[in-house]
Amino acid sequence: MNTEVPPMGQENAAAGSTPEKVKETISSSKAKGTPKLGEDLKEPELSKAELKKRSKAEKAARRAKEKQEKATIGQPDVPNHTQQDQTIAPEPNMRNPASGAPGTKQQKRRRSSTANPQRQIPIRTLEPPAPTVTPAPKKDNKNVALFSHLYGHSRRSTMAGAGKDIHPAVAVLGLKMSHYIICGSNARCVAMLLAFIRVIESYSTPPGNSLPRHLTTHLSSQIEYLVSCRPLSVSMGNAIRWLKVKISEVDPDKPEENAKQDLCEGIDGFIQERITVAGQAIATSATERIQDGDVILTFAKSSTIHQTLEKALHHGKRFKVIVADSRPLFEGKALARQLANLGIQVQYCLLHAISHVIKEATKVLLGAHAMTSNGRLYSRCGTALVAMTAKEAHLPVIICCESVKFSDRVALDSIVLNEVAPPDELLDSDEAGSPLSQWKDTPNLQLLNLMYDLTPADYINMVITEYGSLPPSSVPVVHSLSMNT
Amino acid sequence: MTELVAPSSINLSTPPSTPKPDSQSDGKSDFEYSTFAITSLKLLLMVLASIVSTYHSLLSSDPLLTMPVAAIESLILLLSHSPSSTISETLSLLAHYTSILKSSVANPIALSAGTDLFQRYLISSLQSPQPTYPGNRGGRARGGDTTDDFQAIRHHLISNGRLFAARAKEARSQIAHVARQFIGDGTTVLTYGSSRVVGAVLDAALKSDTCFKLVYVCDTTTTSTDMPPTLPSPSRELPIAIIPPSAVAHALSQVSMVMLGAEGVVENGGIISGMGTYQLGVLAKAAGKPVYVCAESHKFVRIFPLSQADVGGVGLQFSESAAKGQRKGSETDEKRRIDYTPPELITALITESGVHTPESVSEELIKIWY
Repeated sequence: MNTEVPPMGQENAAAGSTPEKVKETISSSKAKGTPKLGEDLKEPELSKAELKKRSKAEKAARRAKEKQEKATIGQPDVPNHTQQDQTIAPEPNMRNPASGAPGTKQQKRRRSSTANPQRQIPIRTLEPPAPTVTPAPKKDNKNVALFSHLYGHSRRSTMAGAGKDIHPAVAVLGLKMSHYIICGSNARCVAMLLAFIRVIESYSTPPGNSLPRHLTTHLSSQIEYLVSCRPLSVSMGNAIRWLKVKISEVDPDKPEENAKQDLCEGIDGFIQERITVAGQAIATSATERIQDGDVILTFAKSSTIHQTLEKALHHGKRFKVIVADSRPLFEGKALARQLANLGIQVQYCLLHAISHVIKEATKVLLGAHAMTSNGRLYSRCGTALVAMTAKEAHLPVIICCESVKFSDRVALDSIVLNEVAPPDELLDSDEAGSPLSQWKDTPNLQLLNLMYDLTPADYINMVITEYGSLPPSSVPVVHSLSMNT
Repeated sequence: MTELVAPSSINLSTPPSTPKPDSQSDGKSDFEYSTFAITSLKLLLMVLASIVSTYHSLLSSDPLLTMPVAAIESLILLLSHSPSSTISETLSLLAHYTSILKSSVANPIALSAGTDLFQRYLISSLQSPQPTYPGNRGGRARGGDTTDDFQAIRHHLISNGRLFAARAKEARSQIAHVARQFIGDGTTVLTYGSSRVVGAVLDAALKSDTCFKLVYVCDTTTTSTDMPPTLPSPSRELPIAIIPPSAVAHALSQVSMVMLGAEGVVENGGIISGMGTYQLGVLAKAAGKPVYVCAESHKFVRIFPLSQADVGGVGLQFSESAAKGQRKGSETDEKRRIDYTPPELITALITESGVHTPESVSEELIKIWY
């Protein structure tokens, strides 16, 4: 990759008039980019996936170069080793905020309308344009710029490059999460805590260290690995915060065996109290909300909703269920199958049919990934649409959510707080001839695979927690209550 | 954990006459227990007959008494006459009478606000002082002085309960003090129902020499169209217009605010009140007039209706004959006397602890319950 520096230099030279400025922008935005790339710094060797990506990018660049013969500069920008750098390369005029990547389309349109299509005319900048710079986003940036802060690092899908102190249980768990074998806020939280029990059991304090201080750092590296597999859920965050406090409270004079045992019992208790029993309590009170003849609409899959509907059935309630679902995970299929096996009449549909099936529904029951402190629901992408449609149809929207999923964060939109999954998941893996199969080589095409969305509190009638049924505005009160106990 | 879930239903199912299983462990013989059971059963029957009548006589003796407070007072009377000797027995007795009382009235929501709160109040006041008290186990085995201990608790409990009822009554004048500031000179207030709190607010406003007018929406389902005794009567200081519910939309343009009472304030900040309140709320919202609800905080109740059906309403009764006079007097009509007004239609709730938005009701309830 020794080609990396020369093209930049060339570009600068080509830019001619303001080489320093360009350099400045590049370096400054590079500096901006680095904190997000924390993982890259920590992992000096590149993973297989990254190597693969790099070679792919190089290939794409070569192809693009052949295509664009008109380009005056000999060498197009060679893909840099990080995605963040790529965003910089094709845009020498970073100063212009309007011409940021969300505006690339617009920019192109304008460019084509100008007399000289070769030249990129900076909009709203005072400096004269660099005469010979070709914009040529020959190698498209495949990250959607509006969500660029969410890309962070690519998701780890192999164990390669994992630190040697990663516990096998954690290593396996990470891969399971990365491949959605363990999926769902509750399942991930429980699996993580169980893995941590294994970690603590096999942990021994190195000489010269005390357990409360060293175990925390040891766990942190495990957590870091898990994050590299998939970003943590809110419930996991809450559980980790609780566990770290618990560890720091351990009396340093306590024999290690006892301390470890206490911690493991504490974790068991946490799972029992905050997730298992809480789920049962929620199911009990949510069951009271289901009346004979109800048609319950739900979206995707939530373990709490499943528990609720199962309980309602055992209580002799007669009701129908409509499971709405969406690509790419199709989690609702599992729920629909489980409910049908229980003997509940289930209708399965995809999200686009929602305005049709809403007419039959009488209540909407939704699970949650998290509830934010302003009473909004952060859940699987598509939930907001279901809730909005239900509100429009004047149906009550009931959220079943354990208090461990409450967050003290405040979110106003699903842009700031979200998770971007690998865009390749959007492709039909079984269809080789899919029109999108070549999307990485198709210019001006970006795929965005968001995991979550945010449902406004106005669309939510009731949140059922283990503390009872509440309006969404009471989320912060219950959150502080549950964190203090 | 289970207590966290549905605190209102914890004790409801335990019949009071059964001797507590844990009291088996102390030295009494089976015989003593059977006599104990018989006496408590007798008393139970006695009070069972009287709890409902006590409640009704309390209500009729004082026109200013609200249902929750009457329920609390009759429960206190019951407790002071009951022979209970353990905490849990007291509590289960209380819960039992509560359920009797609830089943005796057509619309138990307002009542349950008071009884639930009282029960909660007792539990927390029993938990907070000397933890050695609740000596169900081991307590009585220690000797004679523990019986005196329990008497002390009982006394504490009853006096605390009295204090509770006294405070609840005091609340109304505090609300009047807060709410009269909402009534300015030259305003026209529209009200509906026979709320004692609204009556107190209007009185307070009159006493502070505020010049305002009142529009009273009469209940056409009853025969009389007079003003209820709880509201001030027309005078030179207070001109009153009485309109039927059908004229509300017409009259709203000349009204500056709607002031209502409530039988219960539910978890999400909505209110349960006399039939017709909901449609009044809808009309006021459509006309852009503020709706203020005056209610004491002992009317806050931990139920969460999602629709009108959740407040004990019955489905529509369709008639296939055109016979007249079927509309009134049926038992279902009695049950449908109330409706639920969702929080979106309420501008503010005025309680003795200040002015609240509907959203903060849940917060207040959580404070009481946990």
